[in-house]
Amino acid sequence: MHLIKALLAQINPYTGDIKRNIKKHLDFIEKARKEGASLVIFPELSLTGYFLKDSIYDLGVNINKEGPGIFGPLYEASKNVSIIAGFVERDDNFNFYNSSFCLSRGKVLHVHRKVYLPTYGMFEELRYFKPGSGFNVFDLSEGRSARARASILTCEDAWHLSSSYICVNKGANIIIINSASPARGIASILDKFSSINMWEELLSVIAFYYKSYVIYANRVGFEDGVGFSGGSCVFTPHGEMDSCAGYLNESSLKIEINLDLLNSERFKTPLIRDENLHLTFREIQDIIGSKK
Amino acid sequence: MKKELPQINEKNFPLISTHLTNFIREEVLRTGLKRVVLGLSGGIDSAVSCYLAEKALGKSNVTALLMPHRLSSPQSLKDAKNIVRLLGIGHHVIDITDGVDWYFTGEIKKGASEMDIKLRTGNKMARERMSILYDYSFKLKALVLGTSNKSELLLGYGTIFGDMASALNPIGDIYKTQIYQIARLLGVPENIIKKAPTADLWAGQSDESELGFSYELADSIMYLLIDKMYKPEVLESLGYDIKIVNKIYGMIKKSQYKRRTPLIAKVSERTINVDFRYLRDWE
Repeated sequence: MHLIKALLAQINPYTGDIKRNIKKHLDFIEKARKEGASLVIFPELSLTGYFLKDSIYDLGVNINKEGPGIFGPLYEASKNVSIIAGFVERDDNFNFYNSSFCLSRGKVLHVHRKVYLPTYGMFEELRYFKPGSGFNVFDLSEGRSARARASILTCEDAWHLSSSYICVNKGANIIIINSASPARGIASILDKFSSINMWEELLSVIAFYYKSYVIYANRVGFEDGVGFSGGSCVFTPHGEMDSCAGYLNESSLKIEINLDLLNSERFKTPLIRDENLHLTFREIQDIIGSKK
Repeated sequence: MKKELPQINEKNFPLISTHLTNFIREEVLRTGLKRVVLGLSGGIDSAVSCYLAEKALGKSNVTALLMPHRLSSPQSLKDAKNIVRLLGIGHHVIDITDGVDWYFTGEIKKGASEMDIKLRTGNKMARERMSILYDYSFKLKALVLGTSNKSELLLGYGTIFGDMASALNPIGDIYKTQIYQIARLLGVPENIIKKAPTADLWAGQSDESELGFSYELADSIMYLLIDKMYKPEVLESLGYDIKIVNKIYGMIKKSQYKRRTPLIAKVSERTINVDFRYLRDWE
C-alpha cells in the first residue's frame, strides 16, 4: 500500500500577526508529527489572515531574498513534517502575491502564486496582489514514491475548472486546494450554508472527473463580521467525501491518501488517458484567434 | 423560477446559530473585552440578539438595559423582564421620560407641529437610549450589541445614531421574516413572537401600518432586489406590484446615508476609509 498520512489544519489565523500565526502553525505541526503524519496542510494566507487590505504592504515576505527569515522556525519544523501554508509574498520588484509554499526537509519544495484573484462582491484581491503565472506539479513524496504528484490551487483557482485540468494533464494526482472561503447563503433545504454546498459539489466533480485525490483546507474564524466556513475535507478519486473536519470551528483532521486507489479508478474510467490535448489546444487557439 | 426568501428552519438552524454565536464571541473577545450590553425593548429583535449573546458569552457577560418612556407600552417592560428572568442575565431599568421630555417642553411652546414633535420625540428616545447604552458600555467594559434586523436597516426604518448605532450586530443580515423563524428555534416566548411589530415610540404605533406593506411582502421583494440582484422589472414579471417594488427600492436608496459613516472631504493623499483602508479588526 502506498499511503500518505497528512493532517489538515483548519485554523483561525490572527489577522495581520505573523509571529502569533507561526506559533499556532508550530502547534499544529507538532500535533501532526505526534500523530505520524508526513504532511500538514494549512489554509490560504494562513500565516497572515485574509482581508488584509492596506496591511498587505506591511506583511509581504521576500523568501527568495531573505531566505527563511521570519519563517525560520517553519523551515526548521519542516525537517520532520512537510508543511503547506499560505503567506503574502513580495518579489524583488515590489509586487505582492497571494502565495502558498510547501516546505520540506528544511527547504522550499514548491511555491504556488494564486492565479485567479477574485475582485468582485466582497473580494478585492486584484487590487493588491499580482496574479501568479501558472500551475505546477511537484513530487510530494520526494523520490520515495514517484506516484505522489501534487498541485496546489488556491481557493478561486479551483473555481476555474481549467486550473485542475492543467494540473492533472501535467501529471498531478493529488489536488491540494487551500482556501479562505466565507460562509454565506442560507438555503431552506440544506443543513449548511449554500457556499459550503457549492464547494463540496465542486470538489467532488474535480475528484471524480479528473480521477484525483482532492484535499481541501479551508479556514475558520471571523474578520470584520465575515465568517469563514471550514469544512476541510478529502475527496477520493471516486468523487466521494472520505472525511471532513466539520464546519465553522478550529480543528484538525487526520487523513490518509491511498495512492493504490488511483490505479483502479484510472483503469476503470480512463478519462485522463483519453483526454485529447491536441484537440483542446486547437480549439483554444481558435477561440483566442476569433476573439482578437 | 424559485423566488422565496429562504427559511431558517430546524435543518439549517444549528449551523446558523453556531455561526452567529461564534461571531459574537470572537468579535467581542478580540477587543480584549468579554461582555456586551444591549437595549432590551420587549420586542422580538432585541430578544433574539439577547438570546444569541447569552448563548455566546454566558449569562454573566450579558447585561440588558430596559429603558421605558411614559409613552411605552407597559407590556413591553413586562416582556423584557420576562426575558431577563428566563435567561438569568443582569439588567437595569432606566426610565428615559425625563431625559427626553424636558427638551420638548420648550420646543412645543415654540409652536412645533404635533406630528413633528411625535417623530422628533421618537428619534430623541432612540438616541437617549443609545447615549445610555454607550455610557454603560464604558461603565461595564461591555460592547453595545446591535438589535436592528436587515429589513429595517435596508428600509431605513430606524434612527441614525439611535437604535441603528452599535459596536456589533448579529442580526443585521437577517430579514424580519427570518427573525420570527430564528426566535422560535431559540425558544423566545411565544407572546413576544406573536406581537405586532412596533417601534413602541407612541401608543398603538405599528411598523406595518406606518410602512404601508407587510414585512413578509417587503422581505420577499428585498431578497430578490438585494440578495438576488433582480431588476425591478423582473420582479414585476414575477407578479409583484411594481408600485410597491419601486416604493421599497426608493426607501432603500433614500436611506443609504444612514448605513454609512459620515462623508469626509478629501484633501490629503490618504483619507480615512477612502484610501486609508484597514479592517476594523486591524491588529
